[in-house]
Amino acid sequence: MRVAQARRLVISDHPLPWLLPLVAILLVFTVYPLIYNIWLSFHEFVPRRRALEFVGTENWVQLWNDTRFWQSLVITFTYFAIALVFELVLGMAIALLLDSDGFGFGFLRGVLTMTLVIPPAIVGMMYLLMEDPQFGVISYLLQSIGLLNSNNPILATASTALAGVLVAEIWQWTPFMVLIFLAGLRALPPEPYEAAMIDGASSFQIFRRITLPMMSKVIAIAVLVRGIDLFRVFDYVFVMTSGGPGASTYSLSLYAWQQTFSFVKWGYGATLSLVTLVIILVIANLFIRIAKVRW
Amino acid sequence: MNGSVSARMLRTIAAWVVVAIFFFPIYYWTSVAFKHGNDIFNRPPKLFAFTPTFDNFQKVFGISLGSGGITVTPGGGNFYMAPRVWDSIVIATLSTVLAVAIATLAAYALSRMNFRGRHSFVGWVLSTRMMPPVAVAVPMFFIYKNFGLIDTYTGMVLIHALMNLPLAVLLMKSFFDDIPSEIDESAIVDGASRFMIFRRIVLPMAKGGIAATAVLCFIFSWTEFLFALTLTTTSLKTVPVVSSTFVTSIGTAWGNMAALGAASIIPAFIFILLVQKHLVRGLTMGSLKQ
Repeated sequence: MRVAQARRLVISDHPLPWLLPLVAILLVFTVYPLIYNIWLSFHEFVPRRRALEFVGTENWVQLWNDTRFWQSLVITFTYFAIALVFELVLGMAIALLLDSDGFGFGFLRGVLTMTLVIPPAIVGMMYLLMEDPQFGVISYLLQSIGLLNSNNPILATASTALAGVLVAEIWQWTPFMVLIFLAGLRALPPEPYEAAMIDGASSFQIFRRITLPMMSKVIAIAVLVRGIDLFRVFDYVFVMTSGGPGASTYSLSLYAWQQTFSFVKWGYGATLSLVTLVIILVIANLFIRIAKVRW
Repeated sequence: MNGSVSARMLRTIAAWVVVAIFFFPIYYWTSVAFKHGNDIFNRPPKLFAFTPTFDNFQKVFGISLGSGGITVTPGGGNFYMAPRVWDSIVIATLSTVLAVAIATLAAYALSRMNFRGRHSFVGWVLSTRMMPPVAVAVPMFFIYKNFGLIDTYTGMVLIHALMNLPLAVLLMKSFFDDIPSEIDESAIVDGASRFMIFRRIVLPMAKGGIAATAVLCFIFSWTEFLFALTLTTTSLKTVPVVSSTFVTSIGTAWGNMAALGAASIIPAFIFILLVQKHLVRGLTMGSLKQ
């Protein structure tokens, strides 16, 4: 009786006062910018009159006909896909390797954590120096084994610039996957493995038939969290290439930012950032549905 | 897995090699911080054989290593970055406090109270995490300009707190979910109010979780780039943004930049080691428990 009463009290308590500060700040800082962006996408700044003018759907028409936008969309998707595949595969391989209680393995896991606390902008700078055609240690290495021509600086050649940025990205975030996968691997129950051993399964079969299926939830969450960030990539390209050479490393976020702040195209910049937002929301929510990720 | 000695040896060696490859850029960057210019601009790159110098740290932090030990002389110059480090610390600390305070309150309600639309509310909080920073930074730039919030601690603290809120809410909720709600119920039977339970019982029990949340918020604010780049101009700058100052028309001051970069890793790394137990849960916004 008393328990039932208490339960009722717990349920009837009003959550509003607890949620109010959160709701307020989320409304002001996410819903308002969203509305403002939508409004802005139908306007454009006119430098001559130093004012915003209503331009109707002009920005949206321009977007549709803007080859640079489509190009940056392709670049963002390419970056997203390549980085995700590399980080997943390398992350899983290294996690399997480090999944041991042997001496020193805890230390090694700790060292890997280091990459995660460095500001990505500074990581970009690090790789800018390491990929310098003359003094960079990566360039030197690649040149001396004949993989790189010294006339083609990695970040200043259109065909290799994106790869140069991706190296920094993959270096910094593969350990993120390793740590998540390690936690997943350590939580796996031992029984299926024992049964598989008795049946004489090969280690590849065990991985393919037992580890992977049991890790699917962990993998899905890792893909979602990392994928969201990958699609918004800005720091590395801003610092390392500013989108160049040509437009070979323009990500959507960078393109939107530059339209607003470098070219004073406020309306068009807002249109671009809205499109980025919509793409992320649609893909992420579809993924959450399909992979049945739950919070 | 495999019991044989040689297989274990092989695995240990492979593990050390892989981690060494990942550690190498950090080593190299730190070594640049201790190098003279001519050792940085050398071909082939010098990895181990160079004369270490403390000049870069002196220029960037005013710290010099003399015969009488370490002396600190706050200096001027374009590359004197100690105030920028201070800016970063203030912004990261205050935004962390704000985000954790708001998130803890909300997470308690989301974990303990049953109300209509709770699931959609969690979904909404999660979806704010998906907003590209550029879509927030552009409108905020105009708003901040109107309210005089550009270049202010207030402005940066608010935006970084906002950025960390989805993570902090979901993470704190997962920690509260771990605490059995029977504890709350029996306290209510004893006549305690909701807030009293929250403050006296649940908060102390979730201490470890709050610490982990705070550390992650701190690090994400510490490393954040786009908001800091957009919403500060001159008098206030954070460490990631200021790194581009070293790129000048007469070349890049790599040594100085490396000194700043190397120093900026240390506090974050110490923090993250302290909460390593909860790290994975934090990185996945509370959805994976270790």
